[in-house]
Amino acid sequence: MLRLDRRIIFLLVGLCTLVPLLYPVGLAINVSPEVRGVYDYIESLPEGSVFLLSLDFDPASKPELYPQAIALLRHAFRKNLRVMGMTLWVSGTGMAEQVIGQVAAEMGKVNGTDYVFFGWSPGVSAIIISMGQDLYKAFPSDYYGRPTNTLPVLQGVRTLRDVNYVVSLAAGTAGIETWYVFGKDKYRFELGGGCTGVIAPGLYPLLRSGQINGLIGGLRGAAEYEVLVGKKGRAVAGMDAQSVTHFMIIILVILCNVFYVLSGQARRRSERHV
Amino acid sequence: MSLGMLLGAWVATGLTLFIFTFLYRDNPFFKLAEHLYVGVSVGYTIVKAGDTVGVRLLYVPMIEQGDYSLLIPLGIGLLMLARYVAKAAWLSRIAFAFIVGVGSGLAIPRVISSYVLKQIEDTVRPLVSMTPDGLTFTASVLNPASNLNAIVLLIGVITVLFYFFFSVEHTGAGRVAARTGIFFLMIAFGAAFGYTVMARMSLLIGRLTDLIEFAGPEYGSPSLVLLAATVIVLIAWSRWRAREQPERSETP
Repeated sequence: MLRLDRRIIFLLVGLCTLVPLLYPVGLAINVSPEVRGVYDYIESLPEGSVFLLSLDFDPASKPELYPQAIALLRHAFRKNLRVMGMTLWVSGTGMAEQVIGQVAAEMGKVNGTDYVFFGWSPGVSAIIISMGQDLYKAFPSDYYGRPTNTLPVLQGVRTLRDVNYVVSLAAGTAGIETWYVFGKDKYRFELGGGCTGVIAPGLYPLLRSGQINGLIGGLRGAAEYEVLVGKKGRAVAGMDAQSVTHFMIIILVILCNVFYVLSGQARRRSERHV
Repeated sequence: MSLGMLLGAWVATGLTLFIFTFLYRDNPFFKLAEHLYVGVSVGYTIVKAGDTVGVRLLYVPMIEQGDYSLLIPLGIGLLMLARYVAKAAWLSRIAFAFIVGVGSGLAIPRVISSYVLKQIEDTVRPLVSMTPDGLTFTASVLNPASNLNAIVLLIGVITVLFYFFFSVEHTGAGRVAARTGIFFLMIAFGAAFGYTVMARMSLLIGRLTDLIEFAGPEYGSPSLVLLAATVIVLIAWSRWRAREQPERSETP
């Protein structure tokens, strides 16, 4: 077992992922309090509130964060919030524009009236501070080159203080922590987060201390949000595969440890005989 | 279906399969996909950054709107390029000094406030809360705000900090504290590893979901066609490589 060809493990993992995707069984998905935190806050916002979604990831994290973005945007548009989209990652600009446009079209929302996409601007922390001072100086024009101060969706919005809720979907830095450190800490808006599984454990201290009011972690978090929104998508479809694969990995870990212990005992016995 | 969608499906499928071939062994298909990925990412970043900074933030405001104050940041930015001219390299220090100065000034107080003070404040919570009903002590593992969790957190923070405190020998009670710190660290590493496994599996699920979608006849079944083609060419490449290597080893 300990000398097992690693390609057999790859094959097993591949099969455990592929088969449930082809033949889903629909395992139950329970919603965690951290995901519910983001959902409940958006649910509590009155119509016309300003919601800023910062898509701080690139295509490398698309499988985890794209479903989160779709679920959040569906929720925000369904609540008739004014949606502002942007990204702190230059390599994610095209994808961010695509997801906002796709969901807005699906929900019948008009660009410039119901939502705006700012795109990317350099500076990371400087751009957040600049938005906190004057949104129109930070983004004089939107992604499509239209002057932002003429857009109906931004009526009455001058700085980050006028934003009701910010959610950063982050695959690393810059992301949720950057929005907290340079944004929320000074401009006092409410902040929520969505992230890849890799960085989720590092963000739990922010959640516990109340620095963020909710956290959507990885594909699992996206699936939970899809359940809450009531429109199941790719994340829910992937949960069976995720569960089966995790189960297989747990079995492999246990088996490898058992064989490791047994092989150690066998070696010690043979040494005693010699 | 548009030609762009169709082409995108074939390219995405092909590159995904090429990357997956690394699971068998390193090969030219993997290298091709890897190099394309790096090249396209860098190219995209350069074009987007160039368009946003050069055109939207500099050319349009300066030339079309007459805002010449932007010459100051432009000048400071251009000083960085002085590094490439040996005699003028010292000028780049001005730009770096500006960036380091502004960056530190902005970051240090905010980071201390957000990461150090706020986290200390959360760690050292009062264990007994005063409510209109009197003093209360909540003890529930499931409630993040419970006093029981606060005690566990406090013990964890203190013992882990003690584990990294090397000025005192870890013997006696110190050894117990350090060992407890190790347990907390191991739990943290386990949680991080578990989440990492989940994240990697999610990426695999994402790619396989696309491959399943692109196996449909509306796309021309690129997943099936390219999978068969990749496997055949990979087998042929392996056999060719196996023939080549003995010949090379025989050559003096």
